[in-house]
Amino acid sequence: MSVWYLSARAAGDPPCLGGGGAMSPRAMVPERTRREFLRATGQVGFVLAFALRADERSTAASRAAADALAPNAYLRIGADDSVTLWCTRSEMGQGVRTTLPMILADELEVDWTTVRVEQAAMIPAFAGIDLRTSGSASSAETWMVLRRAGATAREMLRAAAADLWHVLGTECRCSAGAVVHAASGRTATYGSLATRAASLPVPDRVDVKAPEALRLIGTAVPRIDAPRIVRGEATYGLDVRLPGLRFAAVARAPAWGDRARSWDASRVRSMSGVIDVVPVTTGIATGVAVVATSTHAALAGRDALVVEWTAGPNRAFDSEEFYRRLDGALGEPGLESRHQGDAPGALASAARRVERRYLSPFQAHACLEPMNCTADVRSDRCDIWVPTQAPEVAQRLAAEVLGLDRGAVRVFIPLLGGGFGRRLFCDYVPEAVEISRAVRAPVQVVWSRADDLVHGFFHPAEAHHLAAGIDRNGRVVAWTHKVATSDLSMYGPSTDTNPRRYAEDESPWGAFDNPYVIPHMRVDVVPVESPVPTGPWRAVEYPGSVFARESLVDEIALVVGRDPLDYRLELLRPFETVRVGHQTIDRARLRRVLEVAAERSGWGTPPAPVAGRRVGRGVACNVYHGGTHLAQVVDVSVGASIDDVRVDRVVVAVDCGQAINLSGIEGQVESGVMWGLAAARHTAVTFRAGRAVEGSFAEFAPPRMRDAPRIETHIVQSGTAPHGLGEQSVAPLAAALFNAVHAATGERVTRLGRRP
Amino acid sequence: MPTLIVNGQPHAVDIDPRTPLLWVLRDHLGLTGTKFGCGAGSCGACAVHVDGHPRRSCQITLREAAGAAITTIEGLGASPTGLRVQRAWLEEDVSQCGYCQAGMIMAAVALLVERRAPTDADVDDTLAGQLCRCGTYQRVRRAIHRASAEAAR
Repeated sequence: MSVWYLSARAAGDPPCLGGGGAMSPRAMVPERTRREFLRATGQVGFVLAFALRADERSTAASRAAADALAPNAYLRIGADDSVTLWCTRSEMGQGVRTTLPMILADELEVDWTTVRVEQAAMIPAFAGIDLRTSGSASSAETWMVLRRAGATAREMLRAAAADLWHVLGTECRCSAGAVVHAASGRTATYGSLATRAASLPVPDRVDVKAPEALRLIGTAVPRIDAPRIVRGEATYGLDVRLPGLRFAAVARAPAWGDRARSWDASRVRSMSGVIDVVPVTTGIATGVAVVATSTHAALAGRDALVVEWTAGPNRAFDSEEFYRRLDGALGEPGLESRHQGDAPGALASAARRVERRYLSPFQAHACLEPMNCTADVRSDRCDIWVPTQAPEVAQRLAAEVLGLDRGAVRVFIPLLGGGFGRRLFCDYVPEAVEISRAVRAPVQVVWSRADDLVHGFFHPAEAHHLAAGIDRNGRVVAWTHKVATSDLSMYGPSTDTNPRRYAEDESPWGAFDNPYVIPHMRVDVVPVESPVPTGPWRAVEYPGSVFARESLVDEIALVVGRDPLDYRLELLRPFETVRVGHQTIDRARLRRVLEVAAERSGWGTPPAPVAGRRVGRGVACNVYHGGTHLAQVVDVSVGASIDDVRVDRVVVAVDCGQAINLSGIEGQVESGVMWGLAAARHTAVTFRAGRAVEGSFAEFAPPRMRDAPRIETHIVQSGTAPHGLGEQSVAPLAAALFNAVHAATGERVTRLGRRP
Repeated sequence: MPTLIVNGQPHAVDIDPRTPLLWVLRDHLGLTGTKFGCGAGSCGACAVHVDGHPRRSCQITLREAAGAAITTIEGLGASPTGLRVQRAWLEEDVSQCGYCQAGMIMAAVALLVERRAPTDADVDDTLAGQLCRCGTYQRVRRAIHRASAEAAR
């Protein structure tokens, strides 16, 4: 069986052309020597060679070394006119495998339909290049790097043509994969120039294109992987196949800290397809693995395995009891995160006071592709295929388990069937390595749906206490926001006792970076320990904080008799740009998206009545790390019970700076809305006896087709560098939704998620 | 030994006949286009067509599927409706992570074969079994209506 080649082509995808532009400063690119260039192309050849069958290896390597232009790790122009672009971020649905190559292709001046996208990996060819995918930062972080990389190759090709024709480079134009000398009518394809260009020195300084010259950036380009996806040819982690591949499923500790004491493998070993039963001591959900010749045999064997567990210290953990503890913690003094003026004093002397507590429960990521990792451990090296957002972590963890240098561990990244932050943790990598080493064969560890929902990392629960002081004119003069929650445990047990750590981290997001003009403000955190493994979940701290913040603003507006949208604009006046910590909040941009959302939703006009139901409209807004500014208006209709809520429409105005892929922006806005909707009304994780109760999609039930509202996206161009959109649309949704519910019913919802 | 007819090809499959069709396809026939999302009939990622009817392949055994004509996502393009739906999916740029999309497309094709011009309520009902964690529902709906409109042309 041949190794499946993890790649994608764009052939046949029609480009959608349009306008768009951005500032384009001159930029520096470090010079590379010819020797470095040759080594780089040799490594590129190696990437191709690894994935091909043995008989194709030597051909690929020689082809790569001799006939190509590859001045950096991001691209290669072959003598056959092939254009290969490498994506250096993990694709989990946010569209990086399209967005990032678009940036390269635009500067490079190639026809998008000729582009072939390959995935970068933890191999020497990409040494020094960050492959970590988090924080919705991919396009912002790679924007200028990729533009310079594409421009570098373009300029080398232009210089090669000028050299070939004995003309000036300034007389030559690069367009659609060819160089044209208008005066003489001569043209040469990039492929025909590749070898000559490769012999030229790599320029250390290149101009990126002027805004008006951008062709792809700012248009709607369909997903480059879509044709393979709709034909069932796309490769996710679970689809990786290798010669002699085994499959494994792990019987896992019921509660955190439980340990497998003994197990009876006798019956399981005689089951069809079962090869071995081995302990798993790494990761956070240890236990006993059944290794088999097929996934089904591994799962069936695991289900039949009887394991005796020694109880750890957490079997009494109960989430409802924990929420009571969080609520109690709100009465304790916290660690100061932000302080301006004298909030407690101003609050005490304010004419009116509005106060509320909110609860955001534990949540699961619930990627549709369950966690998995394929590992092939040899005596002196290890290859890993894992759908991960953090390949450098996967490499490090594997090397640690095996006692190898990191360079002996290669990590390949297939498509991710959802990430949402869950695939940052790599807890499933050490166990795959451990099992492969034990059985001396490549092994794919498969998590069942119950494994995926019950084990692994969760979004921590948060309790919020907000209090606002309002003066006689209805202005907010004082604001206190206290959050009781657990620190994210994925980073290991906290040894940080620095009382300023939240202030220094500018955390919690959404509380620290409150965008409103409020003279006296105080934000505190009360850390509460819990045994639940926790880590980043889509938008991390924003959803809980912004739910609380935007709900209280709404409540204040109504108390002082103001329209909630107008009131927010009042709180942003005079619309200045301010620094909050290291973040820049542009209140003019936030005003703009609020105004656009208001206008496009018909805010001034009451929502259309729905027979037999109560209708309402709500608004909320947020700024993500001083980058994307976003406002949402939600229309709901409510039945007799407040549990009977239909979300009819969500209008979103988004300013994500320079828009790169219009179709991708709209898709991510919709995706964030649906994620926010899930967390607001459909899902939650309950712990009883130290274990998550929800082990199926019937219990942890994200929204379905019939729950999906109409979502309208309005992109506001601000002409700055690109900001992100993977998470940004999540944060304001819950508040906008429950503000709408209040408008419809007069009832305030202060607890998110599905009730146990 | 049971024989499976998958995308028009017969396969003699010598494994435990209680094995769910999903795993026969993925692990024994090398057809990994049909996805594993829950194994419990809840998410629809494993949807295939059995004698033209949409079925969750995690919920049928090899014995039950033997002899029937099975179509997976890999073979869908052989039918006019299948091709039309795939094209509509590309034109509406539906996929995000894409993991649920094979099942979504199989369900959509089954709906359009049964109902040339499905209403939004038809789409709600039929696609209720298809879970998308990325939330692509709005574009899925548009793609179904687009494919339906194309067929009417």
